[in-house]
Amino acid sequence: MLIRFTCNGKAVQLEAQPEARVIDVLRDELGLTGTKEGCGRGECGACTILLDGKPVNSCLLLAGKIADREITTIEGIAGKDGALHPIQEAFLDKGAVQCGFCTPGMILSTKALLDENSAPELAEIEEALSGNLCRCTGYGKIVEGVLEASERLRQGSHHRGDVS
Amino acid sequence: MKVIGKQVRKVDGFELVTGRAKFAGDYQFPGMVYGAVKRAGVPAGRITGIDIEGARNTPGVIDVLTARDIPGPNLIGVLPPYDQPLLAADEIRYAGESVVLIIAETAEIARFAANLVSVSIDPYDPILTVDDALAPDARKIHEGGNITLSKKLLKGKGKAALEKADVVVEGVYETSFQDHAYLEPETVCAVPGRRITLYASCQSPFHIRGHVAANLNVPAASVIVVQAVTGGSFGGKDDVATEIGSLACIAAQRLNRPVLIAHERKESIIGSNLRHAARISSKTGAMNDGRIIAREITVLLDGGAYASESPFVTMKTLIHAAGPYNIENVEVTSTSVFTNKTYCGAFRGFGVPQVTFASESQIDELADKLGMDRLEIRRINGLKAGDSNPTGQVYAQSVGLQETIQVIAAQPAPPAHPDGGRYLYGTGYASVAQGISNGAEGIDVAGASVQMSQDGSVLVGIGLTELGQGSRTVWAQIVAEVLGVAIENVSVRLVDTDAVHDSGPTVASRSTTVGGMAVLKAANEVKKSLISMAALMMQTDEENIELRDGFAILKMDDSARIPVSSVATAAYWTGFPLMNLAFSKAPEANFDDDTHQGDIYIAYNYGTHRMDVQVDAMTGKVKVLNHFAAHDVGRVINPLGLAGQIEGASLIGFGMAHMERINYAGGIIQNANFADYALPSIKDRIPTNSIPVEDHNPTGPFGAKGAGEPPVAAAAAVFANAISDAVQFRFTKLPITREDILNAIQQRGNHG
Repeated sequence: MLIRFTCNGKAVQLEAQPEARVIDVLRDELGLTGTKEGCGRGECGACTILLDGKPVNSCLLLAGKIADREITTIEGIAGKDGALHPIQEAFLDKGAVQCGFCTPGMILSTKALLDENSAPELAEIEEALSGNLCRCTGYGKIVEGVLEASERLRQGSHHRGDVS
Repeated sequence: MKVIGKQVRKVDGFELVTGRAKFAGDYQFPGMVYGAVKRAGVPAGRITGIDIEGARNTPGVIDVLTARDIPGPNLIGVLPPYDQPLLAADEIRYAGESVVLIIAETAEIARFAANLVSVSIDPYDPILTVDDALAPDARKIHEGGNITLSKKLLKGKGKAALEKADVVVEGVYETSFQDHAYLEPETVCAVPGRRITLYASCQSPFHIRGHVAANLNVPAASVIVVQAVTGGSFGGKDDVATEIGSLACIAAQRLNRPVLIAHERKESIIGSNLRHAARISSKTGAMNDGRIIAREITVLLDGGAYASESPFVTMKTLIHAAGPYNIENVEVTSTSVFTNKTYCGAFRGFGVPQVTFASESQIDELADKLGMDRLEIRRINGLKAGDSNPTGQVYAQSVGLQETIQVIAAQPAPPAHPDGGRYLYGTGYASVAQGISNGAEGIDVAGASVQMSQDGSVLVGIGLTELGQGSRTVWAQIVAEVLGVAIENVSVRLVDTDAVHDSGPTVASRSTTVGGMAVLKAANEVKKSLISMAALMMQTDEENIELRDGFAILKMDDSARIPVSSVATAAYWTGFPLMNLAFSKAPEANFDDDTHQGDIYIAYNYGTHRMDVQVDAMTGKVKVLNHFAAHDVGRVINPLGLAGQIEGASLIGFGMAHMERINYAGGIIQNANFADYALPSIKDRIPTNSIPVEDHNPTGPFGAKGAGEPPVAAAAAVFANAISDAVQFRFTKLPITREDILNAIQQRGNHG
């Protein structure tokens, strides 16, 4: 079937089986290989993308379900000028990235959280990232990265408010 | 120091946070096809027939390979004689064993077709425990018997000295299999050609190249292995990457099409090596003043179906079993055994977590029996510079154990809690030493190149791999420091066997230490060229020049300076070498084969941890209140990377101690997924506070020592000791799950 959706701000239409997994559509049809497959069962969160701003496991999402909806992948969150998103910057500065395989999903889950809640409590961060496994960091630096990103986004939004 | 010791971002981080990094599964080539294997499904038996017709006739299936289609010896392994087939030919030794390879237009078709393969197996009674394997009349899993390796360490009078002790404690400790559970399952992609190229998620590309070449029956130089960005390894992407890498290459050459093989999570658990399960029997004898005079330890490792790294893990446990203590008499026997289970091999810590759990549990039991403070007994017996360690090796410096004990003692005491409530509170201590470098496992050489371009930017090449641990960043820092350039101007090559030198395996916490020394040597040679050139340009002597802030600077007048790019350009046109390939060779181990007395490692990382826990007596739920992790790392190169290593390794140790267990039934793993195999999530994380201690190591760059592995052992041991303290019950098996804790509390209640 022909599926139309928005991906990283761009209108996309492509031919796909309605039961195709969205992770495969993204990786194989659109070449967006930043979305990673760690388990294929929705247990690790490496394939997290944003669907209408909410984090979902793209390995469990069927192509038929994304018609007319909006998807954001890791490739779609940097600024138009190529500048890193503050979450990406904060993750690097705080050492929240080691091997990097969980990182795209971790960053997107963080974005969904901070878009909803600009100053999350620790428990809210834990809840928001509880579906994203990481074997390298021990998570402490990821929590620091999220807190730092939250701080920067709140400060940055004032600045952006000034110019717009 | 401008760069060493400063907090720097990962030099390869940009690609990772943007999704641009190319992992092996991200490679796409025209005409690419996909491989999947049919696995044995039973733990032991003899293959009597293989029916591949159904698979072959499946639309989209391109090729079906069995053992007879392997051009070379169909064997892989770590130490010759190799014992592990790529595809089983007749014997089945574990349930996850690969038997048939299917190549199809899509991965889904390949998997579907693999299910249509029927392997007839005449089953044997599987040998599932080390005791069954060691029984006198046991069936031999391999021709040579069921013992992979058995070694002995003897220091002083050994166990005989236990008789002289005022107090002896005795115990048996057990640990379970653990899965690496890196987030990226094993993946390889082979591209055919006169010289074949393999893009692999892997740890040791040169090791893979050798096996691929042998199994293709071509010279090693005909094979190019490129390490793709690798999503974690922890010791786990070596044998298995060799297996699927060889299979992919063989299929690619047969079909003249690129072949990608990616494991599913289940395959990653059942079909690649695990951490050895262990049973450790231990006796420790001490005098009434707390001095330990003798230890007798017997280590039994369940190595599963193939040797893999078992011989080296056996050696590692042998050397580390008695702990970081100055003990006159030590006797250790360590034996690894074949069973019909998934093979075991390298996993961060490499046997040290198992023996450290046993050792540190027993140190606590000894302290209790003597009525001594548990940290004090570690202080009294802990190694100092000039002491003789359990292999009789004496280090004149960089033995920072005592300092780690001191900084742990200086941490604020946990708040006192009233007895008798719903919550139980406990505090544990554990000390560890872990050898750095290959040591007794083999000669340790690394080769590194440093090359400056005319614009002053630098390219570093080394045959050791970045797996997430931050090694590339450390090497870049070393080069930036030596050449006086900004770290942003230093890049580290991908590991491509065509472009970097074989530096041995990326193991044994050796990347910073042995690898870093090679990088340092090469950088120093390039520095000499730059300084010579700058001296010519400034018409002064070489000793008057220093490299700093991107300039060659006259020491007596630092306004006299030339950009390093101008120096490099001039040097290039003058013919000064701006590239150097240097090798660092660790001092060779030198020890007695019968007693294992002698010099083994170039250095040890020493550590002491404290953990405070709260246990809910009604539910068994554990909350870690504090975790202090002090490690002597010689010299901190990157504080951010170091803290990440200590925190990450600690959570792997915590997982081993509390949550993770491979469950077998009849030789089949029952929990080969992340729903049933409990990997720590962000909610399970522990508040690790890493505390570096710096006791300069003369064998490492700028005095540094490796740090990637040791916290695993200390964290596992400290958890056991903290929980045992809280529950007032000595736990002797890892993991200590919530259920185990509840059972112990109930037992204690019944008896108390």
